[in-house]
Amino acid sequence: MNFKEMARRAESGPMMEAKDFLIKKVASNVMQLTGKYDIRWDGKTLVNLDDDLADRCWQAGRELLLSSGIYSMNSRRVIELEADEVDNALRFAPSWLVLGQGKDQVTIYHRNVEDRRLPFVFGGPFNADVSENMFVKLNEAFAQERIIDSLLFPGYLKQLDGQIIRPTSGLASRAAVLYGQWSREAVRRAGRPGMPITGHAVMGLNEIACTNEEWGLRSTDPRAMVLISELQVDDVTLTRLAYYIAYGCPIYIAFTPLIGGYGGGPEGTAIVAVASFIASVMLGGEIVHIGPQHIKFKQQTNQHSLFLASLVNQAVARNSHIIATTSHTTSARPGSEQYPYEFTALVLSCVTGGSNITGPRPAEPLGFNNVSPLMARLFAEVAHAGASMTREEAAPVVEKLYQRYKDNIDLEKTPRGKPFEELYDLESLQPDPEHRALYERVKEELKGLGIPM
Amino acid sequence: MIDKEEIFKQMREAIEAYDSEAAVKAARDAIDSGIDPLEAVEKGFAKPIRELGEAFDRMEIFLPQLMLGSDAMKAGMEVLEEAIKSKGGEIKNKGIVVIGTVEGDIHDIGKTVVGALLQANGYQVHDLGVEVPAARFIEAAGVHRADIIAMSALLSTTMLHQRDTIELLKNKGLRDKYFVIIGGAPVTPQWADEIGADGYARGAFEAVMFLDGNRGRWAG
Repeated sequence: MNFKEMARRAESGPMMEAKDFLIKKVASNVMQLTGKYDIRWDGKTLVNLDDDLADRCWQAGRELLLSSGIYSMNSRRVIELEADEVDNALRFAPSWLVLGQGKDQVTIYHRNVEDRRLPFVFGGPFNADVSENMFVKLNEAFAQERIIDSLLFPGYLKQLDGQIIRPTSGLASRAAVLYGQWSREAVRRAGRPGMPITGHAVMGLNEIACTNEEWGLRSTDPRAMVLISELQVDDVTLTRLAYYIAYGCPIYIAFTPLIGGYGGGPEGTAIVAVASFIASVMLGGEIVHIGPQHIKFKQQTNQHSLFLASLVNQAVARNSHIIATTSHTTSARPGSEQYPYEFTALVLSCVTGGSNITGPRPAEPLGFNNVSPLMARLFAEVAHAGASMTREEAAPVVEKLYQRYKDNIDLEKTPRGKPFEELYDLESLQPDPEHRALYERVKEELKGLGIPM
Repeated sequence: MIDKEEIFKQMREAIEAYDSEAAVKAARDAIDSGIDPLEAVEKGFAKPIRELGEAFDRMEIFLPQLMLGSDAMKAGMEVLEEAIKSKGGEIKNKGIVVIGTVEGDIHDIGKTVVGALLQANGYQVHDLGVEVPAARFIEAAGVHRADIIAMSALLSTTMLHQRDTIELLKNKGLRDKYFVIIGGAPVTPQWADEIGADGYARGAFEAVMFLDGNRGRWAG
């Protein structure tokens, strides 16, 4: 089973309306599988400690994919899969990959539950709106954080020359070229010319224009695509996959299961998430990113999402060698204390569950450049410390952190924070004293909670 | 002697069971039994669909149930609406909404949730689907005599088309005819202000509250 066959089935599988696929296949099968495999959440657990539940969740997710398939949205056809095809794809999926070039090469691994090896850190603007004049500086500030392994999604260029960019326009292609050039320039300025840049230029097909071995994104840089919730893929993603697979790039596929959506509550959505992990591998994904969404919250540190991320990562870690990573989206914004509390809770839940980490970012940024490389450093430090913790050790810390911020996850109430320009000295690219003091203070607090920073 | 209460009960149960066929049958039984269709709307369908929306808000039911319940109500309502129109009357709804995801954007869930929840709260909703061009929003609003145009965009790139729809409305001299609301993950109140939308809702629940709370700005 390879991409060629997946693309063929996207054009030849049985035809079906999207609504029927989502209701009659996905939602209906999830309801049946939730009962069959007894997938339950007790309403309070944030870090899963039940290995058997994780294994049942894996079985349910695998069965969901086999019974539902993957929906090709533009052709309105279902890509159907057989059990031996899925099992073979999982068998031959890479368990490690080398990213980047020269002395800046880094290796990303599949991690096991409570794996003592350090998680791989994808850190960067994470598709925040980044202004043209700050693009290089801001990415350089991330790249100079040596603890970050790959620059992550260097930012979304919303405007060029004061003009808003229309996705399929010539301006969008020019923006994609500049995205490649400026991202490369940023890692060069930081003294890491071969640092992997995980790219997702959010320009639809135009983003291919950022690819260039000399000045842009290279064949050694992971290229990201996003599946549509739930278990759906569109022509733009299939087209980009075809190109990046042929070009030899590591393929990074993200998916965003919606808690409260077609999968139902956290239990059913966990099954959808496992199915989506496997679907991503079937489509050629070598690094698979889970970013659970929530029907009431835009962020991922609510109790449902914490539990789901913990359970699903454990299910994947225990039953496959997929290289997994989890995105971290918070209510609070950089510059506030709540921001690190939130991402720390999710980091501990994911890292002890076998995931690598991607992020962090605020769910609702304050316009342009609402990022903090210093907070990305703290994010990575927490993840490294978390690698020496067990789930039993992490669970009470996650609970304490959750209690601190849970009443402020509503985006109306969440702390406002500050943009990059107010957190950093733009000449030296160093955090200002106030932001550094926040970092030091929170780090001490996290140590006090028992995280071996 | 017809048992009105029994028919109302069947209508309620059809919604609670998410059963469109049963909703149509119960609505037909109501008409055939000579029940005032307006009374049938209120006592048969209105309460269970409202309760469905409330259960969704509490996360006791989820999107599939909300959609199927709304579909069942819509199917039954078509039968009642026909009967009401034949008598020269009309079904009261809070307002008429055309909703869709903008051009170039295939994300379906967000606007589907908003549409289903608006419907459950008494709005007449016309879902135009995904990748809806600006001209199609305007055309559909005219055809359905809409009060409200609701546009979703999940990508920073595609939210630009929310602006384009408003500009096209202005160009056609129709801007004041419709109340335009926008939403989607990257959409902010600032963006709504910038492009001249009438409002913004962060989520589906907020969309219902916003339209209910701003009725004076769009109704009438």
